[in-house]
Amino acid sequence: MADNGTGASSSLNSTLIKPTNLECKNLYDYLKTRTHNVLEKLYNHPTICLAVYRELPELARQYVIRILFVEQPVPQAMVASWGSQAFSKEHVYVSKVLSELCVWQEANIPGGLLGWILLPTFKRNLKVALLGGGKPWSMSSALEADSKARDVSFLDAYSLERWECVLHYMVGSQQQEGISADAVRILLHAGLMRRDEEDGSPVITRQGFQFLLLDRHAQVWHFILQYLDTVEQRGLDLVECLTFLFQLSFSTLGKDYSTEGMSSGLLIFLQHLREFGLVYQRKRKAGRFYPTRLALNITSSQNKGGITADEDTHKGYVVVETNYRVYAYTDSNLQVALIGLFTELMYRFPNLVVGVITRDSIRQALRGGITADQIIGYLRQHAHSQMIQQETKNPLPPTVVDQIKLWELERNRLTYNEGVLYSQFLSQADFNVLKEYAQSSGHLIWCNKEKRTLVINKSAHDDVKKFWKRYSKGN
Amino acid sequence: MNNIVLKRESNTDFSSTDETSLLVVIFDSNPGQQFLRDNTHVLTHCLDSIIAFSNAHLMQKAQNKLAVMACHSKTSQFIFPGPGKPIDIRQTDGQYEIFTMVEKTIKHNLSKLLGSDISNILTESLLAGTIAMALCYIARMQRIKSPGIKINSRILLVTGSSDSASQYMNYMNVFFTAQKHNVVIDVCALDQHLSLLQQGCDITGGLYLKLPQLQGLLQYLLWVFLPEPPIREKLVLPPPVKVDYRAACFCHRELIDIGFVCSVCLSIFCKFSPICTTCHTVFKMPGPLAVKQKKKKLKL
Repeated sequence: MADNGTGASSSLNSTLIKPTNLECKNLYDYLKTRTHNVLEKLYNHPTICLAVYRELPELARQYVIRILFVEQPVPQAMVASWGSQAFSKEHVYVSKVLSELCVWQEANIPGGLLGWILLPTFKRNLKVALLGGGKPWSMSSALEADSKARDVSFLDAYSLERWECVLHYMVGSQQQEGISADAVRILLHAGLMRRDEEDGSPVITRQGFQFLLLDRHAQVWHFILQYLDTVEQRGLDLVECLTFLFQLSFSTLGKDYSTEGMSSGLLIFLQHLREFGLVYQRKRKAGRFYPTRLALNITSSQNKGGITADEDTHKGYVVVETNYRVYAYTDSNLQVALIGLFTELMYRFPNLVVGVITRDSIRQALRGGITADQIIGYLRQHAHSQMIQQETKNPLPPTVVDQIKLWELERNRLTYNEGVLYSQFLSQADFNVLKEYAQSSGHLIWCNKEKRTLVINKSAHDDVKKFWKRYSKGN
Repeated sequence: MNNIVLKRESNTDFSSTDETSLLVVIFDSNPGQQFLRDNTHVLTHCLDSIIAFSNAHLMQKAQNKLAVMACHSKTSQFIFPGPGKPIDIRQTDGQYEIFTMVEKTIKHNLSKLLGSDISNILTESLLAGTIAMALCYIARMQRIKSPGIKINSRILLVTGSSDSASQYMNYMNVFFTAQKHNVVIDVCALDQHLSLLQQGCDITGGLYLKLPQLQGLLQYLLWVFLPEPPIREKLVLPPPVKVDYRAACFCHRELIDIGFVCSVCLSIFCKFSPICTTCHTVFKMPGPLAVKQKKKKLKL
């Protein structure tokens, strides 16, 4: 570690290097931070149990289904024996997840053994979701047929338009329409936009750019999470809202649902969802609403492609060639603006934009806080169907992917450590003793034998100083 | 303004794959089966277990797909997804809408099928034919999927009828087709041991289970057949037993240990015939076997 002489010892303030990347939580990360009580309350609803179950790791799902119909606690040793030896690490991990989400609890078995038992509420409600029974979900009261029923394509167009409206607002492009003050407040709260110091108008932040590059599902989920953070300030009940959200996420596209029996809080929540395009309502007081594709399977942001591509909504428009050219078949200003974030635009036609990826353009994007993975993820996710057909596994040319990653690594050649410089040793022996000590405790950052200088981790400075005092006294 | 590479959490390699899993359940609903004739209400029990199992499969992942087929002595039919438009369901209890739809559709279509079939009852079910239909369905799903998506397909056969060697050729054809298309065939035998289907499981890499008791059908299904093939290696499942690889002869459809094989087309016969019935190759009558004198080995 030591003698390479790169001199990576500048004492930079550590606050400068905090990660400012957009943090994308999945449902698990979100629920993990809730308290036990909230979780218990949430598990009172079959929808949430279903959503949580689907979000569990694969092995955990098998464990849960195996003990779903078992009434007594199951010995922990027995559960451990279900998995094969080679995957014991995974077993430990899924056990942790299940405990963290309170899906199962430890219980004593007569005979002094420890066992697992599913949380009774969770077990009961998961069974209800799977097999039936219990009360119907709140939004499924009977409705007579809608005289002006909306079909799937209409809902898709509607949700797309509403959501793009939010995105357009973020990039401040010309196509923007009115967006409510509420939505702006959420964007500001999420740190995706911030108030400009001079005129107070919202401008996009680097997290905002990263947000734009996410896939649609992840965007909606991230946005909704931020919204939920503020839900309690608005006087709405978090559990109620979450339950409704998951009910929506398990509803059927193209079907209408009733608003009957919904509390006033939920009706407000519904209006917010309507604004972002998660539900469609003809009129505020229509008494019925249609969930759109944005609301469906809202938690499955991780499994890319699965559902969205399944229903033929996959409209890729980007072609990347090995000569670093990017052809984007689009007329949307938003998409052009996004492509323009990391390419140099060359030509613009009514339905086509041609750009080229260069070192400068990528470095500019990186400086703006976008990571290489996000760029590659964006290109991959919007790859034209022609590109996907060629090679199912990796639609992008590997050389372009590698080069973008290399350009990012270029910027990360230096690492910063805070350190203290020790120099002017009187003898080589003293130097060696101190070096040995620092090295053995792992605090040595850099040393040079000829110049007799050491750089030691700042946190270890006191410790090394003490050692040095003791040592010099002893001599 | 330096980006720090965030440490990827170690759980990434534990996360589930985002592949679609297609399961075709074949339920042998032939009323001629021995165990059904003894006790007719067992059919309802089996059906309930299969519906619960099918829904459990759909519960695993949002993108999972399901098809259920019923197999009879004269016909085999898809009972989910049924013909025509999916029936419109409003929730009546806390069950997930799609699960209710699956349950209603299966029950509706199966009762229609059972009601129509009043002709003379045969004990033998058209298992091989149903598997062939399932393979066609899987092939169609593979064809119409959008590019860039991977579908893992498997077939689960739940049957209580005996496997007859009369369908030997058809069985082998579907097994090897399935193997070629990477379709796993699992078999759950309710009543009798099925040696031919066991071969099929072995060929395609599926699991074979002879149910020890009918009461626990659902629990057995959930334990053994719910995990998808990729995750099966992570679990301890019943070890494969020795597979009986006896073939059926082409002349009398009987299982044989030792037989005659046509050197041209590999057809199997239990007795010598001078002309192969499959490829019409003419063979010479075998002469008396020349008995060679064995040299005695020197024992040290």
